[in-house]
Amino acid sequence: MITLFRRISGFFAFFRWLFMPVGLLALIAVGVHAAADVVDDQLLVWVEGLDVWLDGYLARSEQLAAWVLKVDARERTVIARVLAVSWELAVDALIAVPALGYDEDAGARASLRQVLTRLNQAPTVMRILRPIITGIFVVGGAYAVSKLVESTLFVALVHKLSTPESSSAAARIAGVVAMLTVLVSHGWRAVVRALQHADDASEARRLKKQRVWSTGLFGTALALPLAVALLLQARALLSFVL
Amino acid sequence: MFARAQRGFVDFLAAALCVWAAAYYTPAGALVRSAIARLISSVDETRPLLAYYSGGVYDSHDVQVPVPPVIDTTALPSGLLPGSAIGRGVWATVSKLPPSANQRAEVKAVTSPAEAAVIIDRLKRELGVETDDAAVLSLFTSTPVAAYAVQRARAEGRPITLESLALQLPPTSRAAIQAASASLTLGTAYSLGWPVVTSTPVTSPFGYRIHPITGAQQLHSGVDLALAIGTDVRVVADGVVRRASEDDLNGRLVIVDHGHGVATAYCHNTELLVENGAHVKAGQVISRSGNTGRSTGPHLHYQLNLASKPTDPFVFRDQRTVPELPSAAPVGVEPPKPPTQPGRGSSAELKAIFDKVGTKPDIGGTETLP
Repeated sequence: MITLFRRISGFFAFFRWLFMPVGLLALIAVGVHAAADVVDDQLLVWVEGLDVWLDGYLARSEQLAAWVLKVDARERTVIARVLAVSWELAVDALIAVPALGYDEDAGARASLRQVLTRLNQAPTVMRILRPIITGIFVVGGAYAVSKLVESTLFVALVHKLSTPESSSAAARIAGVVAMLTVLVSHGWRAVVRALQHADDASEARRLKKQRVWSTGLFGTALALPLAVALLLQARALLSFVL
Repeated sequence: MFARAQRGFVDFLAAALCVWAAAYYTPAGALVRSAIARLISSVDETRPLLAYYSGGVYDSHDVQVPVPPVIDTTALPSGLLPGSAIGRGVWATVSKLPPSANQRAEVKAVTSPAEAAVIIDRLKRELGVETDDAAVLSLFTSTPVAAYAVQRARAEGRPITLESLALQLPPTSRAAIQAASASLTLGTAYSLGWPVVTSTPVTSPFGYRIHPITGAQQLHSGVDLALAIGTDVRVVADGVVRRASEDDLNGRLVIVDHGHGVATAYCHNTELLVENGAHVKAGQVISRSGNTGRSTGPHLHYQLNLASKPTDPFVFRDQRTVPELPSAAPVGVEPPKPPTQPGRGSSAELKAIFDKVGTKPDIGGTETLP
């Protein structure tokens, strides 16, 4: 049995170059969406506040007054959702997509020790914050994966195989196992890859003799509010034991 | 930097789980799924990008609110059932479901609004919840699944609303969530009262018309009720004031969010009595009517939004007081087509009936049989 498992693992290991980067990207993207879903309602509140302010000015003009009627509740909701999607996709592009650069065979790249040394000696906003932000998204993403596994399994079991109590227990265990597996398998790699990417970008700017501290500032500023919003929902993680 | 692990199969499983979650959970995943569906010429089942938030409920891009059917008033028992409004909403949704959509016995048992109300009441007791959300979800999924969603939502410290419950369920429950969403939206709309005395004349109904000031043909998104300046305007149901502001077009206006994707707006007031964020109770005086903004005379513009779309409020006014209800305009889909004559919109016939019949004041969502 163990031999068979090793053979299967060996087969899949051949494709690690493909599925590991894609898995890391997907994990971070799920975490980013979980965060964007949290700020979505707040965005609508802001859009409505902006609409009140704009209506006060636009309605004074004969030419512009028509816009007051054109932007109604539906349009405000669409604007807020478009902002949320845009924000999410932008953070995906800046935080999740670099995970595709994950490479286990990159011998020419700096070692983790070298990266950590540079982080200690020449800390930049990107070097410090990107791994932290990515870590938050990773935990949020892993939790979302676990919820998906748990709920799918529960619905499948309870309708066909077992009682609600046993289905719930089995699904809960599967959810926890899925979350731990994702974190152990992908979680730390995503964080280290974020650190590696931040180090590469910072080093590239240092070699060009540009200001290093501002490296990746835009992406970090864009992702930080989402990470904080997700962090404020961290209580949900306790739901496994409640 | 990254040690090459030996557990290739476990890593593959983890990656597959992440990709699965991203495909069904994120807008980016929807883009990829949609692109793949087009490449292989298969049916694209992805939701619109903007429907991936707030659990995908009460969403104008996702939930197509069905046309409310005409209710046979003679079938209703004398005396008011507690959940009659939500019963109507559920029945209106169920009656529009295709036969193949939901074969659950409970759904099939919904043969009238009253029956739906009884079932929802029973499900609420079974689930031990106070609100309709979980019970309606239970109707379209099953009691164990709804109970599971309630338990998970409570464990996460979330309120027991359909938005929270939807977040606890897998993508396979999407159709049930949409049906529950439509039911709750319609049920809440049916529970609304009327902002002024119901015999108040309607000077301009919902629908396309020639705008009295601009002269352009456009959708009149609410109904204009002729009122003397200073008349009390009452909120039609419990809710939260989402907007209390003033501009030169709408005058002094109040928008109240009643939950379940239902909001009402009251424009051209002379005085506002509530502020942003205030919690209001059905029947509470929130403003006094006036003639502010672009207005040709004293009136109240009363607007009903379902899932963010303007909808004819007459469709949901207490139908038991109307002897014959013409087929209603599509709700939440497309507004009625522009008429050839100004002032003849979708609710023109309804207005005529109400003007002819007249009804007792019905403030605060309480429904009394005539």
